[in-house]
Amino acid sequence: MSSIYNFKKIAPVPEAGDFLDIVLSKTQRKTPTVVHPGYKITRIRQFYMRKVKFTQDSFDEKLRQILDEFPVLDNVHPFYADLMNVLYDKDHYKLALGQINTARHLIDAVAKDYVRLLKFGDSLYRCKQLKRAALGRMATVMKRQKDSLSYLEQVRQHLARLPSIDPNTRTLLVCGFPNVGKSSFMNKVTRADVDVQPYAFTTKSLFVGHMDYKYLRWQVIDTPGILDHSLEERNTIEMQSITALAHLRAAVLFFADLSEQCGYSVREQMSLFESIRPLFANKPTLLVVSKTDVCTLDDVSAEDRALVDAVVRDGVEVAQLSSFLDRGVIETRNLACEKLLQQRVEMKLKGAQLGGVLNKLNVAQPARRDEVARPAHIPEAVAKRRRYDAHDPQRMVLERDLEVEGGGAGVYSVDLKKKYQLASDEWRYDTIPEIMDGKNVADFVDPDIEERLAELEREEEKLAAEGLYDSPDDEEDDEDRRIRALARRIRERKQIIAQEARINNSSRATLTHKQKAIAGASPATAAPEAMAEHLRKLGLDDDAAAATASRIARKRQRSESRAPAVELARRSASLAPRALSVRRDRSTMGFKDAHQKAESDKSRARALRRIAHLGRRGEADRSIQSKMPKHLFTGKRSNGTNDRR
Amino acid sequence: MAVRAQFENNNEIGVFSKLTNSYCLVAIGGSENFYSVFESELGDVVPVIHTSIAGTRIIGRLTAGNRRGLLVPNSTTDQELQHIRNSLPDSVAIQRIEERLSALGNVIACNDYVALVHPDLDRETEEIIADVLGVEVFRQTIADNVLVGSYCAISNQGGLVHPRTSVQDQDELSSLLQIPLVAGTVNRGSDVVGAGLVVNDWSAFAGMDTTSTELSVIESIFKIHDANPSAIVGDMRDSLIDNYS
Repeated sequence: MSSIYNFKKIAPVPEAGDFLDIVLSKTQRKTPTVVHPGYKITRIRQFYMRKVKFTQDSFDEKLRQILDEFPVLDNVHPFYADLMNVLYDKDHYKLALGQINTARHLIDAVAKDYVRLLKFGDSLYRCKQLKRAALGRMATVMKRQKDSLSYLEQVRQHLARLPSIDPNTRTLLVCGFPNVGKSSFMNKVTRADVDVQPYAFTTKSLFVGHMDYKYLRWQVIDTPGILDHSLEERNTIEMQSITALAHLRAAVLFFADLSEQCGYSVREQMSLFESIRPLFANKPTLLVVSKTDVCTLDDVSAEDRALVDAVVRDGVEVAQLSSFLDRGVIETRNLACEKLLQQRVEMKLKGAQLGGVLNKLNVAQPARRDEVARPAHIPEAVAKRRRYDAHDPQRMVLERDLEVEGGGAGVYSVDLKKKYQLASDEWRYDTIPEIMDGKNVADFVDPDIEERLAELEREEEKLAAEGLYDSPDDEEDDEDRRIRALARRIRERKQIIAQEARINNSSRATLTHKQKAIAGASPATAAPEAMAEHLRKLGLDDDAAAATASRIARKRQRSESRAPAVELARRSASLAPRALSVRRDRSTMGFKDAHQKAESDKSRARALRRIAHLGRRGEADRSIQSKMPKHLFTGKRSNGTNDRR
Repeated sequence: MAVRAQFENNNEIGVFSKLTNSYCLVAIGGSENFYSVFESELGDVVPVIHTSIAGTRIIGRLTAGNRRGLLVPNSTTDQELQHIRNSLPDSVAIQRIEERLSALGNVIACNDYVALVHPDLDRETEEIIADVLGVEVFRQTIADNVLVGSYCAISNQGGLVHPRTSVQDQDELSSLLQIPLVAGTVNRGSDVVGAGLVVNDWSAFAGMDTTSTELSVIESIFKIHDANPSAIVGDMRDSLIDNYS
């Protein structure tokens, strides 16, 4: 797998002053702040020790984070290690990180010392002074790291802006003298928008662009121009190119401008090629003649041509292109890619890890096992259909278009039944019950249901024809008719009674059982004649009504118990006075005379006075409403004072 | 043309859709984006049907089917079954299967002629598969995985199998299925091929993470747009070697 170097996630490094503010305010926020001299001395010591330790922890954590996040030069890819050396100076970088580490240790030591001293603090004041001294010394240590911290912050900001170059992937490396058309080529083959200007050193750092070739992702690195002088004389900008050339396994495209528009002669350019040739070892290398719109390889003078021919050896190939006319650009790119891919594949084929790839390259062809033809099934409509194009005004209307019209996702509700393929389109939106008569309709769905129904109906008809359902004719005789009529009258009368009762109930206050008894309005106690009348109204005929009424009236007196209401009604005369309660004045009860009562009232008032004063409910009320009344405990109380405000 | 798609930010589109030569099932999601990807490719050729199975959206893993039929698990509700029945043409038989291994899509891999099934599948189920889908049924594993449906994607034209399938196994499976096979990945190196890819004889849909190398292998092996499997051995060989090792 390719390794990704991403230096964008390093947390910002605060300046020394900010660093102190961050840590000290964190201590203030996250440790207790209230202590009193009256506390036990162990508690006071513990309070200040906690502050010192917490501050040390915060410093430690923040410094450790810096040390962890910044890349260790020995652990990153040599390309990045060298690049960082070039850009930030390895010694300076290591020194800064080393100083941060030392500061961390110093702070730890300070904290350890002062925690030990705090154990002997014998008053709040002394403990507090020790804490102040401890925090002060830590702050001093931190302030001394001012330069390291600001340097590291600068490094971080620069690192975060470095292009993310993957040193192991397929790479095209564009190099050459300044102003020979490297960036123009880069802009042609990738979408990276590198600044192109008609002066030297427009490109001052490495730029990365990406492109696709042969289903693979390639990175193209545009390097700053390099001049032909010794390594010691090279500046930071040139050294970035050299670093890239030295460490990346890439196809190298050395750009040469034979028209000498760039301001460097062909001789100088070829001399540079020769001097950096060692960096091209084992890399597919192309000598790219650019600006062919001005001057091609055939146009140059004989001696220049000889110089060019001299460098073209040891696998170096020549390609010509003009970014201006867009001529030869893609061919050059393909040539470089092809050469690099070939080399990488050869290397990988030699390597040991090929086993996992072989099966992915092998297309297993079936051995015929029978004579059955198994053709693909592609409907004819596939060939005829137009390819969907989102910009075509006559494109088919997709569900998504409907969704957008219908209010967007979450609002639009898709019509699931729209495309049902049924025998009749009218059935599409028919509601079909799921449960009917307590039975799942789906359980009775059967493809042959029509047939079965027809069969059942046939059977039924047959049975009917045989006379199974013929019943003996039952004509209504007079008796039945009379009973029916009577029953109807009874029902009607019952309804009327129920309605009347409802009306009466709602308009009349309810009586208690006793009151009802006194009122004595029960039909059961009415005279036999009234009852007979009542029964008649209910629909019984005269004789039957009279008989029933007299039967009820004839009830024997003692052997049968009677309803309590009846009994009460009988005794109503004697009960009448008691049915209503009378309120009597109890305040005077139990006293001999008015004087005695006055005495008693006086002593009662005396006893109540204390209870009223305390705001109790009675003499049994001992509750305490609030143990700490707010007004007595709010506000700052300085040490030693306890005055109520 | 092989198309990249995503179901609600999930690249395992084979979980949420089922594609055959005569219909396409798509899960009901929060929006119609996923459905419309299928609709725009297949819309006027085969029905593209919204559905759920047993109230879930993982319809691709729960169902198995080909041009002739569709098998759904026992947990499918009556209403879902009715909906699918109404939406599919009459030529497609639908069968609800009583099977302990109810994720039928994971345990059955089939095209219109042959089905590979999980070795522990019921004998009865095997018969139903043969009857309803009209296929020959073989109990098989792919790279020692019993979940044959998850680790391969096949059509009548070709098939993509688990990346660790040995060359020997590939030859054996290829002879059973009578189609060319290649080992490969989808979704930037995922080995659950069946979940990342749905194919039929003329179209393929892969997860959004699928790289262009993977996509070109898919197009070649499934002969989509007149591509040819021989390209894998010829044209793409270098790219594949560089990509995979």
